[in-house]
Amino acid sequence: MKFNHNNRKRYLASVTDRYVKGQMDRRTFLRSAGKLGLGAGVLGLSATMPFGGRGGFINSAQALEIQPDADMMAWLKDAAKPFAGQTIKLATESTPPSNAINSALKPFFEEATGIKVEIEVLPLEQVLQKLTLDVASGLGTYDLYYIDQSWMASFSGDVIDPREKYEANSDLAMPNYNMDDFLPALVDGISMYDGIMVGVPYDIPIFITMYRKDIYDELGLKVPTTMEEYMANAVAIQEAKAPEIYGTTGQMKSGHYSLECDWTCWLWAHGGSIFGPDGKFTGNDDAGMAAMEYWIKLKENMPEGVTTWTWDGQGQSVLQGIAGQALSWGEFFPWWDGPDDSKVSGLMEAAVPPAPAAPLRTTDQTGYGEIPGVGHQGGSSLAVSKYSKHQDAAWLFAQWATSFDTQVYITALGGGTGPTRESVYDDPRIKANAKPGIPGTTRHLDVVRETIASHMGSEPDLPEWAELSNDTIPVELGRFWAGEYDSPKAAMDSIAKKVDGILKG
Amino acid sequence: MLSPGQRMLRALVAWMVVGIFFFPIYYWFTIAFRIDKEIFEIPPLLLDFTFSWQSFEEVFGITIGAKGGLEVVPGGGNYYMVPRLVDSIIVAVGSTALAVTVATLASYALSRMRIPGQHHFVFWILSTRMMPPVAVAIPMFFIYKNFGLLDSHLGIIIVHALMNLPLAVLLLKSFFDDIPQEIDEAALIDGASRFLIFRKIVMPMAIGGIAATAVLCFIFSWTEFLFVLTLTQTSLKTVPVVSTTFVTSTGTAWGKMAALGVTAMIPAFIFILLVQKNLVRGLTLGSLKQ
Amino acid sequence: MTDVPTSVKPPLQRRFISDSAFPWLFPLLALLLVFAVYPFFYNIYLSVHEFVPRRRALEFVGSANWVKLFSDSRMWGALAVTLIYTGVCLLIQLVLGMLIALLLDSDDPGFGFLRGLLTLTLVIPPAVTAMIFLLLEDANFGVMTYYLQALGLLGSNPILANPSTALMGVMIADIWQWTPFMVLIFLAGLRALPPEPFESAVIDGASNWQVFRRLTLPMMSKVIAIAVLIRGIDLFRTFDYVYVMTSGGPGTATYTLSLYAWQQTFSFIKWGYGATLSLFSLIVILVIAHIYVGLTKLKW
Repeated sequence: MKFNHNNRKRYLASVTDRYVKGQMDRRTFLRSAGKLGLGAGVLGLSATMPFGGRGGFINSAQALEIQPDADMMAWLKDAAKPFAGQTIKLATESTPPSNAINSALKPFFEEATGIKVEIEVLPLEQVLQKLTLDVASGLGTYDLYYIDQSWMASFSGDVIDPREKYEANSDLAMPNYNMDDFLPALVDGISMYDGIMVGVPYDIPIFITMYRKDIYDELGLKVPTTMEEYMANAVAIQEAKAPEIYGTTGQMKSGHYSLECDWTCWLWAHGGSIFGPDGKFTGNDDAGMAAMEYWIKLKENMPEGVTTWTWDGQGQSVLQGIAGQALSWGEFFPWWDGPDDSKVSGLMEAAVPPAPAAPLRTTDQTGYGEIPGVGHQGGSSLAVSKYSKHQDAAWLFAQWATSFDTQVYITALGGGTGPTRESVYDDPRIKANAKPGIPGTTRHLDVVRETIASHMGSEPDLPEWAELSNDTIPVELGRFWAGEYDSPKAAMDSIAKKVDGILKG
Repeated sequence: MLSPGQRMLRALVAWMVVGIFFFPIYYWFTIAFRIDKEIFEIPPLLLDFTFSWQSFEEVFGITIGAKGGLEVVPGGGNYYMVPRLVDSIIVAVGSTALAVTVATLASYALSRMRIPGQHHFVFWILSTRMMPPVAVAIPMFFIYKNFGLLDSHLGIIIVHALMNLPLAVLLLKSFFDDIPQEIDEAALIDGASRFLIFRKIVMPMAIGGIAATAVLCFIFSWTEFLFVLTLTQTSLKTVPVVSTTFVTSTGTAWGKMAALGVTAMIPAFIFILLVQKNLVRGLTLGSLKQ
Repeated sequence: MTDVPTSVKPPLQRRFISDSAFPWLFPLLALLLVFAVYPFFYNIYLSVHEFVPRRRALEFVGSANWVKLFSDSRMWGALAVTLIYTGVCLLIQLVLGMLIALLLDSDDPGFGFLRGLLTLTLVIPPAVTAMIFLLLEDANFGVMTYYLQALGLLGSNPILANPSTALMGVMIADIWQWTPFMVLIFLAGLRALPPEPFESAVIDGASNWQVFRRLTLPMMSKVIAIAVLIRGIDLFRTFDYVYVMTSGGPGTATYTLSLYAWQQTFSFIKWGYGATLSLFSLIVILVIAHIYVGLTKLKW
C-alpha cells in the first residue's frame, strides 16, 4: 500500500464525508475531488477506496473524471423543484450498475435534485421477496422496482408504463432522453409484456462464449462457431488438462434459477423451445431430447461441483483457472480480467455464441412470447411503482439512472453488464477501457452488443413463470442430475406434466 | 478420582474435540486475512497464506499502516459496514433488555403466584415460538407499517424480544423456582411489598439466571435473519442480513464477508465474557428441584 | 399491591391471593397479544383465502387450501425431511452435547478456556454458518471435501448434490453450530449438582457408568428435558441452512416445511397456501410438544 495513495484516499474520504453530511456544496466538493482526479483515476489505481471497493464492485481502467452532463443536471435541478426533500427507495440486486450508482454516482443526483435516494442492495431471491411483499400489500414501501425479466409478467400490473409517464407530463420528460436509443431487442425482451412497457431497460447480462486464449492456443483450438465445435473444444481441453483444468463449467444447482438458465440455452440451441404455440410445455420433444443429450455429454467435461453451483460458483471456477471455456453471463468477463482476485486475468477472450445445432424456433412456433436464441439474456428493468407516493421523483431518478450520461459512467466505473443504450457502446470513454488484464475492462462489449442484436434468447413471459423457472423446472432438472430419473426423457416428461398442471391452475 | 495419566488423556481429548469445533472458525479467520487470489487455493492454505488486512480495510473503511497505526477513513457505499455493526449492537442490546425485563416480571409472578391453568398458560407462551418465522413476518409487516415501526430500530427490538420471550420466561421461571418460597413469605410477614421482595431479595439471588438468559437472548437476536430481512429496508440492517450483500451477481466477496463475520463475533463474545461468571451458575434450569 | 401490614392478623393466605399476578404479567401479555396472537389469527384468515395475482387481492377459497395440503405429495415429502432432520440432529446434539459436557466438566487448567472457545460457534449467524459450510463442502474448492477425499472417506460426488448425502451435509452445519448450545446448558446443570451423593457413591464403589446412569442422568433429567424441547422447536423450523446450502435440493432431498412455506409465500405470492403450510407445521409441532411434555412430566 503506497503512502501517497493513502493520503489521497483519506483526503478524498473526508471531503466526501463532509459533502454527504451537507457541510460542503457540490461545486467545492467537485473541485476538491477534482484535484485528486476523483472517479476512475483513483478507483482504478487504488486497491481500496472509501466508498467503493474492488473485486467487481467498482472497477475501472483509466483516469476518468465524473463530470455529469451539465445540461441534464440543470434540467433535473429545475424539474425536481417540487419534489425536493422527498425520499425514494429502491431494492435491487447487487449488480455492477446498482453498485456503481449506490457507491459513486448517487450523490450527483441527490445534490442536483434535493431528492434523497435510498438503495437497498440484496441477492436476487431476496429482491423478489421484497417486491412480492410490497406489491401484495400495495403499501408502496418502495418507489422503484428492479424487475428481472423472469418476473416481468408477475409485476406488469404494479408499475407505471414509462411511455405513459413520459408523454403525460412533459415537464418531467427528460430532454434528449431518447427512448429509441435503447437497443430495440432489449426493449422487447426485458421490458415489454402484453403491450405494457414494464420499465426502462436497466441492465443486460447475456450469455456469450468466453474461453481461455492460452489454452486454445496451446491445443490449437479454434473459436467455436457451432455447437459441435464448442463440444469438441470442451472435450479436447478436458482430455489434455483434467483434472487441473476442466473442459467447461456450469451453473447447475438444483432448485435454483441458474440451472434453468443453462437448460434454456442448450434447449434453444438445439431448435427446441420451452413452450409450443398452444401454451404446452415442449421441452420433452425431439429437439428437447437432443439438447439433453448434448448437455449430458457436455457435463462430463465439467468440474464435479457444477451441480452445487449457481452463477457464483460457475464464475469462481473460471476465476480460479479450472475451466477452459464457458457459455455464460458476459458480466463475468471484467471480473475475470481483474488482476487482484483473478488467476486468469488477461487470459480470457470473448466471442459470440456458437450457431445453433438446429434452426431456432420462431416466435410463432413458441408460446408466451418466448424468443429462442443461444445468447440467453437475464436483463432487468427499472420501474416506477404504481403504489409509490413519490412517483414523479422516482420517475426522474429512473430517467437519470438510465440516461446516456449516467450509463457511460456506470459502464466506465463498473464494467460488467452491457449498457442498454446503443450510443453508450460507441462512446470514446467506454472504448478507452477496452484493454486486457485491467479491472472493469470493456473489451468484451462489442461481443455483447452483437449478441444482443443477433443471438439473444428471451424466456417466455407469463405470470406463473416465476414459479416455473425458480422451482418446478430447476427442481426436476436437479432431480435428474442427481440420478433420480432413469432417463432424460422420463425427466422431461415429468416436467411437462408438472408445468402443464400448474398452468391449468 | 482420576489418575494423572487419565487427566492428561482427558485434557488431550478435550483439546482435540474443541479443536475440531474450532476448525471452521479458524478457517473463516484465514479467509478474512487472505488476499483474494488465495481464498480458493487447493490444497488448502491453512497456515502459509499471504497475510493481509485488505478485506478489513475495505469493509470498515480503515487503513492499517505499516507501523501498525490505525487510521479511520469515513465514507459511504455498499461495503462500509461500521454502521451495520452499530445497528446490530443496538438491536441486540435493546431486545435483550426488553425481553429480560418483561420475562423477569412475568416469571416471578408465574413462580410465586400460581394462576389458574398455569401449566397451559406457560405452554401457550412457549407455543408462540413454534410458529414458522415466515408466518409471523407477514402480519408483522402490516402491523409495523401501521404503527410506523417498519424499518426502525425499535421495531426490530420488539420483534426480537418477542421471539425470545418464550425462552426467557421458561428459563427464568425455572430459576425462580429454585429460590425457596420461604424467603418471600418471611419478608411478606415482615411487611415488605411484593415488588420490594422481588427487587431487593429475589432478583439479586437470581442474577446468575438472568445473566444466562440475557446471553441466550443476545445470541438469538445477534444471529436472527428473516425478521430483519422482512422488516427493514434502508435505515438499518443487522450483520446476518447485511452479510448477504456480499453475494453479488458477479461472485461472492468471500474475503469481505469473512472480515465482517469475524469482526461481528467480537461484540457477541465480549458480551458472553462479561456475564460468563454468572453464566454457568445460571443455566441450571431448576435442576436442583425435582 | 398493598405494602404496609395494617392489621394484627397478617393473613398470609389472603395476602398471597390478593397479590394479583396480573400486573406482573401485563407487559408480557400486552406484547404477546399484539404481536403473537394477531399473527396467529391472521394466518387462520389467510389460510381460507388465496391471493389472486391479477387482482392483487385476497379471495375467499374456503377449505381449498387445506384440501390441497393433504393431497400435496411435496408437503408430505417436506414433512418427512423436516422430521428426519429434527430427529437426527436432536439425537446427535443431545448425545454429543452430553459427552462433551462430561468431558469438559473439569476444573483442570485450560478447561475454562475451552468452554469459552466452544461458545464461539453460537455467535455466528446461521445464514453465515451455511455459507461457511457451503464453501467447506464444495466439491472442487472445499477444504472438508479435500481432507475427506485425502482420507479416502469421500468419492468425487459432491456432498450437497447427492441425494443420499445432501441432508447429512446440511445437518453437519446445524450440528456444528448447536451442539455447543447443548454443551453449555448441560455443563451448567452438571456443575450445579450437589457433590454429596457422588462422594458417597464413590465410597460405595460404584463404577463411572453406574454413577452416570443412576445419579447424573436422573438429577439432570429436567435440564435435559427442557433443552431438548427448546432445541427441538427450533430444529423443526429450520430454514437458513437448507435455504443457503441446497435450496432444498437435489430435487427435494433437503426440502423442509419452513422452506416450502417461505417459497409459497414470498416467491410465488401464494399467501393463503403459505399460511396453511405454516399453520400445519405449527399444529404438528404443537402435538409433538404436547406429547413430549406429557411423557417427560414437565410441569410448570
